[in-house]
Amino acid sequence: MSQHTDDSEMSRFERRGQHVYGARDAVGAVALVALLLILFAGGSIRDAAAQIDQGIGQEIVEAVGGPTEWLAERLPLDEAQHELTAGLSPDAELAGGAFDEGAATATGAARVPPVTAAAFDPAAIGAPPPPKAELETLLVTGDSLATPLDTELARRLAPDGVEVVRDPHLGTAISGTAIADWGELSTAQVAREAPDAVVVFIGANEGFALPGPGGEQLECCGVDYAAAFANRVRQVMDTYRRDGEAKVYWLTVMTPRDPQSARVIKMVNAAIEVAAQPWRDQIRIVDTVPIFTPGDSYRDAIDVDGAETIVRESDGIHLNAEGSSIAADAVLDRIDADFTR
Amino acid sequence: MLFPTIEFAIFFPIVLGLSWLLMPRQPLWKPFIVVASYVFYAAADPRFCLLLGGITIGNQVAARLIDRTDDAKRAARICGVAVVLNLLTLGVFKYYGFFVSDVGDVLDSVALGMPLPLLTIALPIGISFFIFQAITYVVDVKRGDAEPASLIDAAIYLSFFPHLVAGPIVRASEFLPQLKAPRDPRRVAVGAGLVLIGIGLLKKVLVADTLAREVVDPVFGVPEAYFAPDAILATLAYATQIYCDFSGYTDIAIGLALLLGFVFPQNFHSPYRATGFRDFWRRWHMTLSRFLRDYLYIPLGGSRGSRLFTYRNLMITMVLGGLWHGAAWTFVLWGAFHGAMLVTEHALAGRIGRRTPVWLRWAGTFAAVCFAWILFRSPDLDLFWTYLGRIVDPGPATLWTVPVLAMVVAVIGIQLLPPRPLERLQLRIERLRPLALAVALAIVILVVGATVPSQGVPPFIYFQF
Repeated sequence: MSQHTDDSEMSRFERRGQHVYGARDAVGAVALVALLLILFAGGSIRDAAAQIDQGIGQEIVEAVGGPTEWLAERLPLDEAQHELTAGLSPDAELAGGAFDEGAATATGAARVPPVTAAAFDPAAIGAPPPPKAELETLLVTGDSLATPLDTELARRLAPDGVEVVRDPHLGTAISGTAIADWGELSTAQVAREAPDAVVVFIGANEGFALPGPGGEQLECCGVDYAAAFANRVRQVMDTYRRDGEAKVYWLTVMTPRDPQSARVIKMVNAAIEVAAQPWRDQIRIVDTVPIFTPGDSYRDAIDVDGAETIVRESDGIHLNAEGSSIAADAVLDRIDADFTR
Repeated sequence: MLFPTIEFAIFFPIVLGLSWLLMPRQPLWKPFIVVASYVFYAAADPRFCLLLGGITIGNQVAARLIDRTDDAKRAARICGVAVVLNLLTLGVFKYYGFFVSDVGDVLDSVALGMPLPLLTIALPIGISFFIFQAITYVVDVKRGDAEPASLIDAAIYLSFFPHLVAGPIVRASEFLPQLKAPRDPRRVAVGAGLVLIGIGLLKKVLVADTLAREVVDPVFGVPEAYFAPDAILATLAYATQIYCDFSGYTDIAIGLALLLGFVFPQNFHSPYRATGFRDFWRRWHMTLSRFLRDYLYIPLGGSRGSRLFTYRNLMITMVLGGLWHGAAWTFVLWGAFHGAMLVTEHALAGRIGRRTPVWLRWAGTFAAVCFAWILFRSPDLDLFWTYLGRIVDPGPATLWTVPVLAMVVAVIGIQLLPPRPLERLQLRIERLRPLALAVALAIVILVVGATVPSQGVPPFIYFQF
């Protein structure tokens, strides 16, 4: 670490004979970039708004996205650009399985639907459990809540030779389809991986308006909204259970710090319980609320082996590494009741 | 707000246009650029603007008090208090949790535990960068290297959005003189700015994020699931990723600043070309290494003493440099490893270096730097040891794909080529007409945009520091 005489290199642009232009050229060039992006990708701006936290920033992006989408729809450039660059996308191709709004919001069945044996978890009624199968492939998915739980599970199961497919989709929601339609996404995941078991941890971004039975928009979080949301959850659960071929471990969401979010999470957790009812022999609800937020009351730290330990991230929503390790314990307890490994 | 996002694509053209419109009217331009920078910062979390504002006012008061006093000792005391307060702020936000949990455990074990409450404290983005800049401000004023600025100039210096969240760490003496007069609207390095933005986007989105997604995150997430070939590839891929991620950010930051009429110092200079650790630190995160040298190593006494005294200073500097990156033992050990390498190099200077072929010195340095990156990337020491175990465990290669290999070889290989022809090529591209470069930049953005997964662009690695 010797002293340098000139380490700033502040004059490097002048020294190397840089061509300089005027400020108008700079503004014109950046404006041209912006114009070309509007013409060739203007249709994507509103989609991007869905990934932004609610607030003025999102509103501005949405406001800009409206006219640019209008323009993109009338010119062939956006579509041509998408066709030319489609091969570069790292996202898995989705085919079918999107949320069926008609079915999701249907009300008033013609007759009382029968209760089947699948609605009972044998353990819950003291019936003999089915023989344990061998766990070969486990899919861990969800939104940002699923990280770092996915890594924790993968590390715990690696010595047993279990293939753990980690596929969280950050920023996504079951109630919102702008970034990903979980109906389609779950269908593609199951077709690709054919997992023996699926761990799902999602709910950090819920609360988007959902279509009601009459096509009207339902705002979170009344009972009509909860029913529409539970229908979507049930569709995803049905996909993951693979006609009884797979077990699903669906984690409820621990109470967040923000009271507004806590209201949404309460609805999410209730909907998960309701959605799972037809298949309680295949769908296990791993309830994180009593573990991390007993009494629905938010806390940063819980007692772990006699020591107060922080288990939440500073955002008041997610679990940190320690919390994810505790959640992994709870998930593995349930998995070990159904599988050998 | 991340650079490669729609929000920034809306924000920047507006700010650029208004900035040049208001530039001749400095009393309007200065508040405007401060407001624009705070809007940029508020996109992450508006509450942190209060912290940034507080740091600005506190250091401005200190700089003024230092300037007003003729008593050198009093000036030193004020400067010392300001530096300590800056470091305390950094400590509370960045290291409190680490101190209470990890260091607290160690103190508990020797019956020296302290009853500190457990708190989850959000880490303000870029805090390490703007606090270091605040330190350079008061220290430069105390040393007479910079004059105390007006409050508005100090606010611009600390909050200027191109460098706010991840550097480069610009010295007060480099930036404040650029605020003395309006930037010349007839002399803007448009070509260099546009080319650097394009290169930065390619490095970050196309290379760094792809390598992270395809190789680095899977292997470092669950090393137990991979064998030596994949673990070695992931190490090389991480060396490539972190260079492209951070230098990509720096390229974009420097490019944006150029379009606004400002020049930032250089931050990277082909670091994987280094043939020793001193050489590496002259090429890697250059603004941090010179900060550590000028504001830590030299004040500690530098090399003005015995060999042992110099080695002590090197180790302290590098361990604290490691800790600057984050509150974890892996960063401390990463810094200690680099310190140990610098000490070894210093001790062997003139004895081995001259006789060792250049290629061997390069290979040794590169291998050691990559080894240290494993520590840097590991979230804890358990994973680090597991990872080392996988590196020597033979087995199949499952992640060796042509695109991944091509990226690693290209990024590392290009740094080994003679720099002149590449610089000439870049200069020729920069000399193209701005409108042609704008079309090229739009194409780059569309192409890299197509490689972004549906969940968006991951944050830059150095945002967390």
